Amino acid sequence: MPQFESHFFSSLIFWEVLSFGILFFVLYKFAFPGILGVLEEREKKIKDSLDQAERHRSEAERKLKEYEAKLNTAAKEAEAILAAAKERAQRLMEENEQRLTTEAERIKGDATREIDHERRKAIQDIRAQTTDLALMVAEKVVQRSLTDADHRKFADEALEALSKSYQR
Amino acid sequence: MEESPLHPFELHNWIPISLGGLDISINKAVVIMWVVVSLVAVLMVMAGSARKLVPGKLQSMAEMMVDFIRGIIMDTMGKEGMRFFPLIATLFLFILFCNLIGLIPGSYTVTSQIVVTAVFACLVYGLSLIMGFLLHGVKFLGILVPPGTPAWLLPLMIPIELISQLARPISLAVRLFANMTAGHVILGVLFGLAISGGLLIGWLPFAFTIAMNGLEVGIAFIQAYIFTVLTCVYLGDAFHLHGHDEHAH
Repeated sequence: MPQFESHFFSSLIFWEVLSFGILFFVLYKFAFPGILGVLEEREKKIKDSLDQAERHRSEAERKLKEYEAKLNTAAKEAEAILAAAKERAQRLMEENEQRLTTEAERIKGDATREIDHERRKAIQDIRAQTTDLALMVAEKVVQRSLTDADHRKFADEALEALSKSYQR
Repeated sequence: MEESPLHPFELHNWIPISLGGLDISINKAVVIMWVVVSLVAVLMVMAGSARKLVPGKLQSMAEMMVDFIRGIIMDTMGKEGMRFFPLIATLFLFILFCNLIGLIPGSYTVTSQIVVTAVFACLVYGLSLIMGFLLHGVKFLGILVPPGTPAWLLPLMIPIELISQLARPISLAVRLFANMTAGHVILGVLFGLAISGGLLIGWLPFAFTIAMNGLEVGIAFIQAYIFTVLTCVYLGDAFHLHGHDEHAH
């Protein structure tokens, strides 16, 4: 095999060590620091971005929860207000109804009482007038003086008869 | 024209140079090494000086490569292995580009020279030994005794472990060399068949040659990857001498 021809070994070893050494030096000095630096920088940047995204996400979540809670309380409040308003309206309506009923009741009672009163007064008036009239008539008919008690008796009898005829 | 499948591995001195009796003549493999070094250096330095947060194509490729190697180191050695990053990354890029450039017809596969792979293997293994003794002192010899070995097994275990340790650099060197050589031999044989088959049936081995070349690109990557991973593993073993190596479990 040509690879085992040892008279090339010295030159191959010499040049290999030299070129490898040069390459190592060049890369070590001028290439690797830059590439590794950029890689690290990028890793850091990606990590930072991810961290920031995570922070934003959690903040957004927190805000969402906050808003949801707010919305919830607002809805509850609205419900409570609505219920209170309904109750108040109901109560007002009932109150009004009751008030109107009692008012009507009272007016009706008043009117009945007045009518009754007027009726009684009218009856009394009629009775008084009738008594006077009857007395006058009786005096004219009898033409004699009667005792006052007689007067009363006759008058009452006449009145009784009259009211009986009235009632019929 | 029939030529040996091993012909592509032959080297010829182009410019004979001698340094104090040491023959350092320029040949094809040396020139290809220079090409690899300049290519890798230019590409990586350009990518390294771009430094854009949103990378372009070249920077993306370089970053992918660097991130890939960093991943291997992190997986096998952990964070403290990163101090070997420049060495391991250079090794990976050098081997990868040697493998890939060798696939261009007419060029030369430097990594198909066993002496080249052996130098890398010795570098890696030697470094792991130095690191081990620097970090753990004489206790590093404990690497020859797997944890939980009963005392009466020691006379058996120590030679076995010694052999397995010595096999590390040899296997490292031979694996890369053999894979590269074999791939090119197969390509050479297939192409030889295509040439000698003529138009009538020669297209079949030629098609295979093309398919094999695609496969070889994959192998070029895989072998560079394997060499790098094993480098990390050996260095990692030297780092955390068994017992407190958390990644082994």
